[in-house]
Amino acid sequence: MKKIKKGKLAIIYAIISILLVLAGCGSNQDSSKENLDNKQKVTVQHELGKTSIPKNPKKIVVLELSFVDALQGLGMKPIGIADDNKTDMIEKLVGDKIDYTSVGTRQQPNLEVISSLQPDLIIADYQRHKEIYKDLEQIAPTIELKSRESTYEENVDSFKTIAKAVGKEKEANQRLDEHEKTIAELKNELKEEKDQTVLPAVVRDTSFQAHTSSSFDGEFLEKLGLKNAVQNKEAYAEMNLEQLSDINPDILILANNEGKLLTDEWKGNSLWKNLKAVKNDKVFVVDRDLWTRYRGVVSAEAIGKDTVKLLNEE
Amino acid sequence: MTKRKHPYGILSAFLVLLLIVAIISLGVGAIYISPLDILSNISGTSQNNTFILYNYRIPRMIIAIVIGASLAVAGAILQGILKNPLASPDVIGVTKGAGLFAVFVLIVFPTASILVLPIAAFIGAAVIAIILMIFSYAQGAKPHTLALVGVALGAICQAGIQYFMIKFPDNVNTTLLWLTGSLWGRGWSEIWILVPSIILIPFIVIFASKLDILNLGDEIAVGLGERTKFVRYVLLSIAVILTGLSVAVVGAIGFIGLIAPHVGRRLVGSRSKFLLPVSGTVGALFLLIADTLGRGIVPPVEIPAGIVTAVIGAPYFLYLLRREQKK
Repeated sequence: MKKIKKGKLAIIYAIISILLVLAGCGSNQDSSKENLDNKQKVTVQHELGKTSIPKNPKKIVVLELSFVDALQGLGMKPIGIADDNKTDMIEKLVGDKIDYTSVGTRQQPNLEVISSLQPDLIIADYQRHKEIYKDLEQIAPTIELKSRESTYEENVDSFKTIAKAVGKEKEANQRLDEHEKTIAELKNELKEEKDQTVLPAVVRDTSFQAHTSSSFDGEFLEKLGLKNAVQNKEAYAEMNLEQLSDINPDILILANNEGKLLTDEWKGNSLWKNLKAVKNDKVFVVDRDLWTRYRGVVSAEAIGKDTVKLLNEE
Repeated sequence: MTKRKHPYGILSAFLVLLLIVAIISLGVGAIYISPLDILSNISGTSQNNTFILYNYRIPRMIIAIVIGASLAVAGAILQGILKNPLASPDVIGVTKGAGLFAVFVLIVFPTASILVLPIAAFIGAAVIAIILMIFSYAQGAKPHTLALVGVALGAICQAGIQYFMIKFPDNVNTTLLWLTGSLWGRGWSEIWILVPSIILIPFIVIFASKLDILNLGDEIAVGLGERTKFVRYVLLSIAVILTGLSVAVVGAIGFIGLIAPHVGRRLVGSRSKFLLPVSGTVGALFLLIADTLGRGIVPPVEIPAGIVTAVIGAPYFLYLLRREQKK
């Protein structure tokens, strides 16, 4: 019996030593990859430090939609996008069918696919991809920028950082000037009476999430001269019907989720019927992707046009 | 329980199966790598997929095997000590306890060193284990009571994790993965956390016979010269360490600790000497298959391994409950 036991032990330790040897191989592999030729590089400051990027990167992988928007604004197209497997969402954002590889979901982008694309630059979201920064850095120079729950201003900053990273700062400044002009024009066009408050919100089957003055769409609407009904430092605020009727905004802009909606239940309620926005027929339903998912300079302009069109209709 | 005829044969058959599945798993993912290609990459004659293999597939394979085995062995030990077929780290809430403490550390001390995480997970697992021991000893709890208390404790911990998720949405991505359990983004740096498990598993297999003596009942065990309390605490600590470390690396993956020991018992009977290594191998196989499936079903999207184990495991758990009821 004892002999057999020893034999079994030997097998187990053999397996362990194989595993440890494999572990050794793995770590050796990492270091050999790094010493590539040091051509000209650009150093970019981002949320997780500084990264040097080879000049004029061509192959770019992006892990959030706002970065697709930013590249679009600079006249570039990413080769890989974390698109949650929704090609039509990207098509709508870019306005055209583009050739790219899906790298999985924004929540769990597929590192294998990213590495197989051999990118020159990876643009990741600070909130979602903090944890895998090291893994991404192993594949290619990575910058982590604010996108998820970011404000409009933060998005413009990200746009500038991306422009620096891809060597298109001039184009970016031009584009931003143009952007400011567009906003000024839209602001003029908007025939809304002053002192009206607006509240954009995302409606799902069980929640009504107000987007405050610090959210991307909320802050952008303020830039157009529409005061947000909820002035808050937190970007989003979950609300029930009573809270909503307490705030009672003049204009409601609803970005509805797919499927059943909480507001459908509210419609029969007298609190809902007595909302100023409902009484004055100022409840507008807008595209969820455009208003809350894309978040970028180009989509902001589209949001602005959308707003002018909706509010000026009457 | 009947004693089956060829425990060694079964064990080696499963080890061979594990090896085969391991090699297949290396090929599965968003980028398919053929077994031949894998071998030429490992031997160094080809370089085309080396980066993917060494940076993602191989560390994930090792993590799946070690953690699958850890959870299964921990489950087998707990079932033995508590004399309860429903005891396993996830059913009795130990996994969720470890998860809660780990999430707490991740969120409140984001700059803490990587060593703090496994320690926190261990403490979380230990706290839940102690509460459970108090219940099971003070009241002489029946199998179902213990499972219920565990479910309740697990729910409390889950609520805690959810609180952190709402309070600190910045880290939602991390905490979400913790709740289901996933091997996504895990690599060599996480394997270092598992080194104690790699040492403990063979150690516990050697001392498996102690568990059998405990199973004879305390009086006989004392009569046989065993320090029952001491042995029981050592075994329990090992189970808690194995669970805590596993959770620290991949989050709360369920059902492996429950099912693997049951499969093991069906194959080789309840003698711990055979039960522990066979359960461990089955557990490793289970998690490895779950992770491989999660990676391979809808690439490039990954399904967290915890969801796959739950889909397979939950029906089996119900079946077990029914069988226990009939007894």
